[in-house]
Amino acid sequence: MKLTHHSHQSGFTLAEIMMAMAIAVVIFAAIITASIAMQKSFNAVDHYFATHVQQVRIIDYLNRDVKRALICTTSVDQQTVTLTIPNYTIESNNASSSEASNPSLFGTMRNPTMSPAGQVNYGTTTNTVVYSINGASILRTEDPKSDGHPIVTTIASSTDQLVPSTTDTQLTNTEYSTMAVTFRPIFTSGNVADERTGTTVFSLAYLRNKRRG
Amino acid sequence: MKVSSIPNERGNVLLCAICTIFIISLIAANVLLNCTARYNQASNQVRSWNEALYAAESGGDMAFAEIRKTLPGTSPSPSPWTGWTNSGTTYVSPVTGTASLPWTFGSDNLQAQTVVETCYFDSLGVFHLGANPTGAWPWYRIRSKGTSPLHGLKRTGMDDRLSNGNRFVANGSTRGDGDTLLRKIDFNYDHFIATYGPNGDGTGKALQAVSAPQIARRIELIVGAVTPFGAAVRVTTSFDGPGSAGLIDSFNSNNGAYYFAANNPSDPHYKDSHSGGVAVNSPTFFMHQGPIWGDVSTNGGNVLPSNLIHGVIDNNVPLTIDPFDMPSLPTPQPSPVAFNSNTTITPASPGSVSAPTTYLVSSWTKSVTFNQSGSDQTYVAVHVTSDFTGQVTVNTGVHVQVYFDGNMSVKARDLVNNTNLAANMQFYGIKPANPNTTQTIAIASPGNFVGTLYAPSADISFTGNPDITGSIVGKTYSGNGNTTLHYDRALDNVGVPTDYRIASYVEDIR
Repeated sequence: MKLTHHSHQSGFTLAEIMMAMAIAVVIFAAIITASIAMQKSFNAVDHYFATHVQQVRIIDYLNRDVKRALICTTSVDQQTVTLTIPNYTIESNNASSSEASNPSLFGTMRNPTMSPAGQVNYGTTTNTVVYSINGASILRTEDPKSDGHPIVTTIASSTDQLVPSTTDTQLTNTEYSTMAVTFRPIFTSGNVADERTGTTVFSLAYLRNKRRG
Repeated sequence: MKVSSIPNERGNVLLCAICTIFIISLIAANVLLNCTARYNQASNQVRSWNEALYAAESGGDMAFAEIRKTLPGTSPSPSPWTGWTNSGTTYVSPVTGTASLPWTFGSDNLQAQTVVETCYFDSLGVFHLGANPTGAWPWYRIRSKGTSPLHGLKRTGMDDRLSNGNRFVANGSTRGDGDTLLRKIDFNYDHFIATYGPNGDGTGKALQAVSAPQIARRIELIVGAVTPFGAAVRVTTSFDGPGSAGLIDSFNSNNGAYYFAANNPSDPHYKDSHSGGVAVNSPTFFMHQGPIWGDVSTNGGNVLPSNLIHGVIDNNVPLTIDPFDMPSLPTPQPSPVAFNSNTTITPASPGSVSAPTTYLVSSWTKSVTFNQSGSDQTYVAVHVTSDFTGQVTVNTGVHVQVYFDGNMSVKARDLVNNTNLAANMQFYGIKPANPNTTQTIAIASPGNFVGTLYAPSADISFTGNPDITGSIVGKTYSGNGNTTLHYDRALDNVGVPTDYRIASYVEDIR
């Protein structure tokens, strides 16, 4: 058998192949780098939005309780807020003796009473709500129920280092509370303090009731 | 075998580029879609939840405006409760924000409905619905519900950042986390009616479908009358006092006679001794060397903390005291029509707080003694259409209100209050017909004064060393060096209402 020789069969030289591979590597490296960068960027945006939602939730919780509170007290480090709130509904842990004898009243609204000093009260006791930071969680803790367990609600929890800061200012008859919540975004560029400051969400709420403390 | 070559194999780079762009676009679209859905939904829920409270509070404001129309001496047009449904002493507003009553709040189709119930507190402080059988001024309970539609997808709260995973669980130690307990959304049924009934009292529970997702919030306000007093001194223009031998403090005559307890925390009356407040609606506040055992507020003043002020200082408190118009009183008795000779009056009937036995006199220059009608607490009102320069004696069981159109100039000994209760001797200065005229009230020693002065258009001055027990409301106040003033906290709920106030605010967060 005689092999036919194709005199015009052309190929790539080693140099060409090396050059092509080098170009391909550069292109793919660029594509992969861009993909990773975009994924990180989109993840950061997603994270920013999600954490912002948590900021708003913290402020909404605090605002709701401050508006209906009788007393608002902030700790020196501005990270623990204690609120005294009327016991509007009859519960097993705040029922008077006459209310306790009628369990069907639990969960219903309570009629107010008038104190000799002219204050409108709901029940003989008040409810204490404390906002505090516990590790990576921000907690809302209500008075213990009749079983002795406090009612704990995790209102925000993440590794984003959410930091609420609250101050209260007492005036003659009223009081207002200012809140600022910050977090550390994941796409910091070195100056973490500035990046955190840039995430600040601020709010102010007045007590609707005349302050009692 | 012949192997052919294909010399024009091109386009693979373009294909790779398109595929790469496609993949990256998919990633971007997915993330952006996720972000957008999360953010839109979360912001919709936050907005609706906050706007529902705005609607509820607006409903409360509208009810409050109707209540203010019922103040004595006012004749608003339209009259109170126009358009509301009335049943006994309960008033129900129409639902605002509907097609038939398009009172909307902003552009988000918020709705509000408000129920106002007349109520009162008895002598033990117990709450009752209905009008007060003693004739005292009514209280009102306002319950307002605000509803905001929730646009967008039917999604629960975006709390996937919470890590412990029990946010939808209720048990003995936790009731869930995150948005679940905060923004309660009615996607298909009104959760409040289903769980607590339409009035929230546990009766009439039913599954009531909602036409579209919504968020509703409910508030309850207790509204009471603003009585003229509430502080030792309230003036619109200037305050001058107390001197080095004077002081301003407080006590509560319901707990016994006055004695100084403000510097003794262990005294049982100590808690009532620090309400001798002074409020000025101007920067003009002159204080000498006498202590004030109460809060001090000015409107733009520069009062600084000192060891003489034993209360909160606030220099940014506007104080509104409207000129006092003659209130509506029952038809006056036919006689006497002037107190130009010494007179003793024993009313035929005891009257009541809101319907006292009334006298209309053109002058009061002599001594008038008021006696009790039988053994009942007796209420008397006198309208003097000129100056008050006479003497008055109020005996036990009698409550006297004196309204005078002119000025008042007396010795403190001329104002004899045998009840020793400031609430039983009240003087009201009616605003001058000419607004450029300043009314004057001058009380000089000798003697002491147990009573109240309410004259927003008057310059009020005390000279000598009178000991005053009661409350002063005027245009200016001047008490010289020896004047002492003891505010009686029993006055907190006494007198002709000048306005209404919201005494309590709660939100029903169930």
